[in-house]
Amino acid sequence: MWLWNKIKQLAIPSRTGVVTLRYPYKPRPAPAGFRGQPVWDHTKCIGCAGCASNCPARTIFLRDICQEIRILLYDSSRCTYCGRCADLCPEKAITMSENFELATDHRQDITETMELFMMTCQRCGRCFDLEIKNALDKLQMLGYRYDSLEARKVIRQSTPELEPELLEKTATYRRPEKLEKSPCGKD
Amino acid sequence: MSRKDELLNLLKDELKGNFLAASSLEENRLFIDIKKEALVETANQLMRAGARYQMGVGYEARKNGRGLAMVHTFAFDADSLLVAIRALTTEDEPEFDSLTPFIPGAGWSEREYIDLLGLHFKNHPHPKRLVLSDDWPEGIYPLRQEVPYDLMPPAAEEVAFRLDEAPPGSSIIPFGPFHACLHEPAHFAVYVDGEEIKGCEYRGFMVHRGIEKLAATELTYNEIPFVAERICGICGSVHSVNYAQAVEAASGLKIPRRAEFIRTIMLEIERLHSHLMWLGVAGHLIGFDTVFMQAWRIREKIMWLAESLTGNRKTYGMVIIGGVRRDIDLTKAELIKKTLAEVEKDVQALEKAIIKDKSIHRRTKGVGYLSREKAKEWNLVGPVARARGLDIDARRDHPYAAYDEVKFEVVVADSGDVWGTLVVRIKEIYEAIRIIHQCLEKLASRLQGSPLAIEIEDPIPAGQQGLSVVEAPRGEAVHYVLTGDDNRPERWRVRAPTYPNLQAVPDMLLNNKLADFPIIVGSIDPCISCTDRVAVIDRRSASGRILSRQELEKLSREMRSKT
Ligand code: SF4
Ligand code: SF4
Repeated sequence: MWLWNKIKQLAIPSRTGVVTLRYPYKPRPAPAGFRGQPVWDHTKCIGCAGCASNCPARTIFLRDICQEIRILLYDSSRCTYCGRCADLCPEKAITMSENFELATDHRQDITETMELFMMTCQRCGRCFDLEIKNALDKLQMLGYRYDSLEARKVIRQSTPELEPELLEKTATYRRPEKLEKSPCGKD
Repeated sequence: MSRKDELLNLLKDELKGNFLAASSLEENRLFIDIKKEALVETANQLMRAGARYQMGVGYEARKNGRGLAMVHTFAFDADSLLVAIRALTTEDEPEFDSLTPFIPGAGWSEREYIDLLGLHFKNHPHPKRLVLSDDWPEGIYPLRQEVPYDLMPPAAEEVAFRLDEAPPGSSIIPFGPFHACLHEPAHFAVYVDGEEIKGCEYRGFMVHRGIEKLAATELTYNEIPFVAERICGICGSVHSVNYAQAVEAASGLKIPRRAEFIRTIMLEIERLHSHLMWLGVAGHLIGFDTVFMQAWRIREKIMWLAESLTGNRKTYGMVIIGGVRRDIDLTKAELIKKTLAEVEKDVQALEKAIIKDKSIHRRTKGVGYLSREKAKEWNLVGPVARARGLDIDARRDHPYAAYDEVKFEVVVADSGDVWGTLVVRIKEIYEAIRIIHQCLEKLASRLQGSPLAIEIEDPIPAGQQGLSVVEAPRGEAVHYVLTGDDNRPERWRVRAPTYPNLQAVPDMLLNNKLADFPIIVGSIDPCISCTDRVAVIDRRSASGRILSRQELEKLSREMRSKT
């Protein structure tokens, strides 16, 4: 019985042969509908911030540097490739590409920045008409964040040793207010 | 009279003035508000009526009166009923009676909120510091509202977790936090007497990511599914479907039938993947690498299938509140059928080749034994419970998605050991394939072209509770959602299947050989990440009294004053 089992076990690999792909020597194309790195089409984007305010990883940042210029920055290092931005963009300016070979030493390689020239509405002086129900309203601007592009390290890093600079920095973090009365009844 | 009404009347009669309110948005759910004095009595009543304890949820209430709230949920598996009881206390007096003395499975749930919320549980047998890292400052409770989600107190030096003393006559062998037989960081201090295991202490919480806090402060309703699925590297759809179901239940949304079938298919594909992966890992842990290689070769086909269906190798990114994002059309259905045919053939060949192999029998039969009664006492779930004769399966007992329309068998074994788990998981592979075929048939025959998701027109009302269960490959996962303002839930609590199962590991290890440690721990397929969205520690199972932190402090102070 034991021997018979071992023979059967030997038979499986000899039947299937080698299954390992020759990747990366032979590229493996992604199937249709693959969710790779999102790419932006600047000719289509209207700067509505729909993608930025709905990105679960919060990795699309927007900032208006003046009334006319809005900067959109996509930082791939935290992207989860969920494709939510591409789904929600009313102008279909975002496509999920087939690119998945994104390992790099330089964050800049996988960062995309767009400077969008925004037209001012002649009637209300703002960029969009928010009174009429349109695609933009559907996006629900809730959660829209005015981000600082310089300080986009939203995820704070911890280091094995506490360097003096870091210690200084953590001192400025928001702290909970000191509770007047300890809820545990301890002091 | 339905079971729900029976229970409601019983509780109303017994509790009298302590019964505050009851709500039931759905047929199979019952949410009860009680005064906190009646917490133990109510839980007792429910347990006597045949309930299975699921989990505790603590949160800081902002609506309907401020204070700290504790919710305990119970399942009535025979009646497809889930019951949640909620009690509120003031911030000045954050104390509840502990359920742990008579429901041991509640121990972790309560200890969680001692740390995260600053609650106190009267009569808790083991309120040792549990959840937070060892150097987390006293008096800061992360789940309290005033604590920001990204608070990072500076690390303190020279603090370490205080392990309990080993029982007399035994020595400690540490496993982890990083160890070749553990796939995620966790620390087991195993007490051994010679080769025999006499108990163990578990220290987890090394991969705590604060996801629940993040959801309550930063994310919005439809962003959370994409974070929820990343709770686990394997049960992606389990958590996103579970969360979406809880929100849909809380807000009374009815999703299209087609979406429910697609969710079911995704969940079963995930089960195929998880079972095959576990089979490989189990083979590897007992030193049988043929199983490892072959099971993972078959699993690769499932991953490619997932890639074609969802756009990535994992079953991620399919679910949103109100439905699903991607369709399974006829071409994709053909692809699924083709892959499943291959997988079924391969699994059969593999099963035939290994199931009679004596080396597997010797390493798994009688190993990690736990009796049916013990399994029940620890509220075990999933294949680990079914291998110990407990006939529970959320897919049949609390049908969700499209499980009410498919036929399948709940596989139960009664050997009570790792071998039983192995048999259950292999048989479930065939059942999963059966379920997917039935779903595809129904999709093709009558649900072509119907919408994939409903559009959510009105804002989700605040203050509603939703409770949802999904039978993950490793067992029942439970999500609780309390809706809130600002387009995000006020509280979202996740209980992964490993959470109850891991609590029983010390009992499973008892009197086994040290060499079997990897496979026993591996047999519950521990998902440390899922469990550790908050941290957990277990008391050792060997007898002996354990000092609480306060007692220990008091004792050491006394000792110091004496010297
Ligand atoms: S793919 Fe997802 S995570 Fe990445 S930028 Fe788009 S929405 Fe954000
Ligand atoms: S959602 Fe589309 S149109 Fe709007 S800012 Fe993003 S890319 Fe531009």
